Amino acid sequence: MPTSEAAIEERSLPAERLKGGREGIALALRFALREMRGGLSGFFVFLACIALGVAAIGGVNSVARSISSAVESQGQELLGADIRFELNQREADASELAWLSSLGQVAVSANMRSMARLPDGSDQALVEAKAVDGAYPLYGELVTQPALSYEALFGPKDGSYGAAAPSLLLERLHLSIGDSVMLGGQAFQIRAELVTEPDLVSESFGFAPRLLASLEGLKASGLVQPGSLVEHAYKIRLENGADDDRLQALRDEAGERFPNAGWSIRTRANAAPALSSNIERFSQFLTLVGLTALVVGGVGVANAVRAYLDGKRSVIATFKSLGASGRFVVTIYLFQILLISLLGIAAGLVLAALMPFAASSLLSSVLPVAAQPGFYPNALALAAVFGILTTLVFALLPLGRAREVPATALFREMGIETRRWPRPVYAGAAAAIAAILALLAVLNAEERGIAAIFVAAAIAAFLVLRGVGWGVQALARCAPRVRSTALRLAIGNIHRPGALTPSVVLSLGLGLTLVASLALIDGNLRRQISSNLPEIAPNFFFVDIQPAEAEAFSRLVEQYAPNGELTRVPMLRGRITALNGVDTSKITPPPEGAWVLRGDRGITYSATKPVNATLTAGEWWPEDYSGEPLVSFTAQEGRELGLELGDTITVNVLGRSVTARIASFRQVEWETLSMNFVMVFSPNTFAGAPHAWLATLTDASATDQEDARLLNAVTRTFPTITTVRVKDALDVVNRLVGQLAVAIRAAAAVALIASVLVLSGALAAGNRARIHDAVVLKTLGATRRTLINAFALEYLLIGLATAIFALVAGGTAAWYVVSRIMNLPWSFLPEVAISTIVIALVLTVGFGLIGTWRVLGHKAAPILRNL
Amino acid sequence: MTTPAIDLKDVSLRLGEGPSSVHVLKGVSLSVERGKSTAIVGPSGSGKSTLLMVIAGLERVDGGSVRIAGERIDQLTEDAIAAFRGRMIGIVFQSFHLIPNMTALENVAVPLELAGHPEPFGVAEKELEAVGLKERLTHYPGELSGGEQQRVAIARALAPEPAIMIADEPTGNLDQATGRQISDLLFSTARERGTTLVLVTHDPTLASRCDRQVAMRSGRIETAPEAVVAG
Repeated sequence: MPTSEAAIEERSLPAERLKGGREGIALALRFALREMRGGLSGFFVFLACIALGVAAIGGVNSVARSISSAVESQGQELLGADIRFELNQREADASELAWLSSLGQVAVSANMRSMARLPDGSDQALVEAKAVDGAYPLYGELVTQPALSYEALFGPKDGSYGAAAPSLLLERLHLSIGDSVMLGGQAFQIRAELVTEPDLVSESFGFAPRLLASLEGLKASGLVQPGSLVEHAYKIRLENGADDDRLQALRDEAGERFPNAGWSIRTRANAAPALSSNIERFSQFLTLVGLTALVVGGVGVANAVRAYLDGKRSVIATFKSLGASGRFVVTIYLFQILLISLLGIAAGLVLAALMPFAASSLLSSVLPVAAQPGFYPNALALAAVFGILTTLVFALLPLGRAREVPATALFREMGIETRRWPRPVYAGAAAAIAAILALLAVLNAEERGIAAIFVAAAIAAFLVLRGVGWGVQALARCAPRVRSTALRLAIGNIHRPGALTPSVVLSLGLGLTLVASLALIDGNLRRQISSNLPEIAPNFFFVDIQPAEAEAFSRLVEQYAPNGELTRVPMLRGRITALNGVDTSKITPPPEGAWVLRGDRGITYSATKPVNATLTAGEWWPEDYSGEPLVSFTAQEGRELGLELGDTITVNVLGRSVTARIASFRQVEWETLSMNFVMVFSPNTFAGAPHAWLATLTDASATDQEDARLLNAVTRTFPTITTVRVKDALDVVNRLVGQLAVAIRAAAAVALIASVLVLSGALAAGNRARIHDAVVLKTLGATRRTLINAFALEYLLIGLATAIFALVAGGTAAWYVVSRIMNLPWSFLPEVAISTIVIALVLTVGFGLIGTWRVLGHKAAPILRNL
Repeated sequence: MTTPAIDLKDVSLRLGEGPSSVHVLKGVSLSVERGKSTAIVGPSGSGKSTLLMVIAGLERVDGGSVRIAGERIDQLTEDAIAAFRGRMIGIVFQSFHLIPNMTALENVAVPLELAGHPEPFGVAEKELEAVGLKERLTHYPGELSGGEQQRVAIARALAPEPAIMIADEPTGNLDQATGRQISDLLFSTARERGTTLVLVTHDPTLASRCDRQVAMRSGRIETAPEAVVAG
C-alpha cells in the first residue's frame, strides 16, 4: 500500500479535531452565528411555545414562592407571636401558665364556633368567635373602623360586652355599629367593624365570619362548658427576641416538661403550615399542567426544527462536501436551536418574573396573606431547565435526521435518495432526556405518585396520539372511492405523504385532552358538592350539646322535624401523639395521610358498630367490653399511615394521654357527609371524661323554610349549641372549589394556547405546500368552491377525530381521578363533550380555512413558471 | 511511475433499494494522472455525476476500489473521508451551492476553517483576489451575479490547495460568455497549481479543452481509459 499510516492519521486530524474539543465547538458556534444572520423567520411558533411554557412554569412557581416567602417573612404577624401553644377543650393549668409566662409576654385567646343571634331571636348566623385579652395583638395591628382602645372596643357597658365583626357578618344579620347580638346567654354590642385581624391565617379555617370579643365576654356567654369545642391559644412574645434554634429548644423543653399537655406548638417559622402546604401542592399541580403546555409546545419545536433543517439541506450538504463531519454539522444546528430556545426561554422568564407582581393584587382578595412580589431565581431556573430539556427532546430527532443528509444531495434531485432514519444514538439521547424531564417533574412534586401518573398519562397520550394520527391516515387510505370530488380530495389530503394529519392530531389532541379531563374533573366535583348532594347527607350538624340539655334538645328537634332522623354521638377532640409508641413528630407520613396526624381530630366512642360503617378487618368489641382500651380506625387512613391490627395509637384528650390498640378497620364513605370519625374508641376508654355531644339531623323531605324554622328554634332555645347547616357549609366549599377551578382553567388555557400555536404553525407550513397543489388543481379546472369544500372537509374530519380521541382519553383520565383517587361517583358530562368537539372544529376548520383563503388567492402563473 | 491522482478499479454501485434500485456504475475502472485534466461526457443518466461523487468520496461503492492520491478512500470512515475531502479535493457545482447567509469571504474561508488553517481569512481573501473578486469580499451570494457566484465557488474549491478538483457542469447555469470566462479560470488555475481536474459536462467545447475525454453510457466507460484526446 503506497500511503503510509502516518499520512492517513495526518489527514484524519481535522475530523478528529472537529469531533470535539474547545476549538471545534468554537468553530461550530461561529458557523451557527453566521448562519443565523438570515433572521428568525419560521421560528415564531418555536419561540412562542417555549416562552409560553417557561412563563407558565416559572410564573406559577414564582407566585407560589412569593406567597410562601410572605408567610415566612411575616411569620410573627401571621402567628401573632414568636411561639404559640394551643390547647383544646381546656385552659392551661397553673404550672403550665407559670412556665409560659416565664418565657415572655403572653397573650391568651380562645376560638370556637357558635351561633350569633339577634336579641329578638328573629335571625341567627354561624360565627367563628374569637376572644382575646388586653395583650392582643402581640405583633401586627388590629384594624377596626372606628379605631378604639381594647376597653372601648370590648369592655362591659350597660350589661353588654363590646365586639367587632367584619362587614360580611354585619350584612348577613343586617347589623349596624351600635346594634347588639347574642352569643350564648350574653349580649354583645357591635362597636366597630373588623377590618384586619393580623393573625387570621394562623387560626383555624374560617367557615363562618369572625366575631371578635374579649375573654371576659366569652366567659359571660356561658359557651365554654366542659367538653365544649374551644381552642385556647397562648401566644408569646419572647423577651430579647429569639432565633430559630431557641424556638426549637423551647419546643423540646415544652415536650419534656409537660409530656402530657397535648398542646400543639407552632413557631413563627411555620405560622400557617396548612396554607403553605396547600399553596405548595397547588403550585406543583399547576407546574405539571404548565409542563404539559411545554410538551405540547415541544411538538411546535419539532415542527419548526424539521422545517428549518429541511430548508437547510443544501447548506448541510455543502458543509459536508467541504470536509465537515456529520457530528460537526449537528453541532452547528444544535447551537442554533439552543440559541433560539434561549431567546424563547428569556422571553418566558421575563413574563414569569413579572407574574408575582401582576398576581399579588389579584390574589389579595382570595388569600389571607399579602403575597410578597419579588424575584425568585430558583423558580425561574426550574422553568429554564424544563425549557431547555423540552427543546432537546423535540429537536434531537430532526437534528439526527439532518446529520444523515448526504453531500450527494447537491448533485442530484433525482429522487432515488431514500429518507434516512437518524442514528439510534439520537433517538436514545432524546429518550434519555425525556426520561430526565419526566424524572425532574416527578421529583419536583411533593405528591410524587400523582405526578408520576400525570407524567405517564401525558407520555401515553403522546404515543397514542401518534397512533391515532397514523390510524386516521390508514383509514383514509382504505376509504372507498366516493363520488363527491371535494370529499375525495379531502380524504386524499388526509393520507398523502406530508399530510397535516399527524401534526394536527398531536398538537391539538394533547391540549384538548388536558382541557377535557380538567373540565370533567371540575364538573364532577361541583356536581358532587352542589347539585348532587347525597340522599343520605344530613341537613344539620349540631355541635357542643351539653349532657344536661341533650334530652330536651332531642325533643325539640323531634317536634320541629317529626320525619327527621336524629343521630347523637359523644364528641371529644384529641390529637394523635404516638403510633406504636413512636412520637408522631418523628414520623413522616405520606402527604395524603398527613392530615390525620396534623392537629386535633374529632373522636368518639361507641359500644356498637356505627350503622354506616363496614368492617374491613378485625372485629367490633362486645357491648359490655371492659378490657384494655380499643380503637377502630378508618381503613384508608390506616393504610396510608402503615397501621395494622394490633398496633397502638396514643391520643391526647383533655391533657390526658390514652393508648389504645387497633381492634378493627372500617370502611368509611366520607362523601355521604354523615357523621364519621377516623377513630372510634371502646366506651371504657373515656369513662368519666367530660364531653359534649354531636348530633346530625337527616330529613330529606324538609324544605328550606322548615330548615330555617328549626335552626331558629334550636338557637333560641339552646344558645350554646352551634348549628351548622350542611347546605351553607357546602356553599362555602363550592366557592373555594370555584376559585381553585379558575386557576386550574387558566393553566389549562395555557396548554390550549400552546396547542393553538402549534396547530397554526403546522397548518401554515402545510399551506405553503398546498399552494402548488391548489394552483395545479385550478389550472385543471377545479373551482374555488370545490377547493374550499375539500379543505374544509379535510379539517373537519381531522378535527372530529382529534376531538373524539380527546374525549375518550380525557374522559378516562378524569374517570380515574374522580372515581379512583377522589373516590367520588363519576358521571360523563355531555356539555363538556359538546364544547370539546366545538373547540376542536372551530380551531381546525377556522385556522385551516384562514390559511386556505390565502392559498386560493395565489396567482397561478408565478407558481407554474417555477414548476 | 508516479502514483495516479485517481485510480478506480472495477467500481460498481447501485442506488435505491428493492425493486426500484438502479445499477448506476457497472465495473468502472479509471486512472487519472496527476496534474492532468479529464472530461467525463455522456448522455443524461449514464452515471457521470455518480462517478464524480465516487471520486469525491461522497458515494460509497458496492464493489471495487477507489484510490485518491494513493489513499483507499472506500475503506475510510465517513468522517475521515469528509476530512480527507476537505484537504485533498475541491468541488465546483453547477448550482454553485454557496452558503446564503455567509459573505463571499466567509464562504471561501469555510473549508480552511474546517481544516484548522491558522489564517483562513487571509488565504480566502487572496483566493478571491485571484478570481477577480477583490471588491466583492463582503457581499452575500444573493448580491452576486451567477458568474461571480461560480468564481466564489472556484475560489472556495481552490483555497485548501487540493490535489484534485472536480467540477459538475461548472458552466451549466451560465451564459456563453460568462461560461467561457469561468472555464478559462478553471483551466488556468489548475494548470498553475498542478491540480488534477476532473469535470462532467455536456458542453463539447469545454470537454475538448481537457487533456482527455472519457465517455460514459449506461454505467460503463465506453472510451478506453488509456485513450487520450488531444485538447
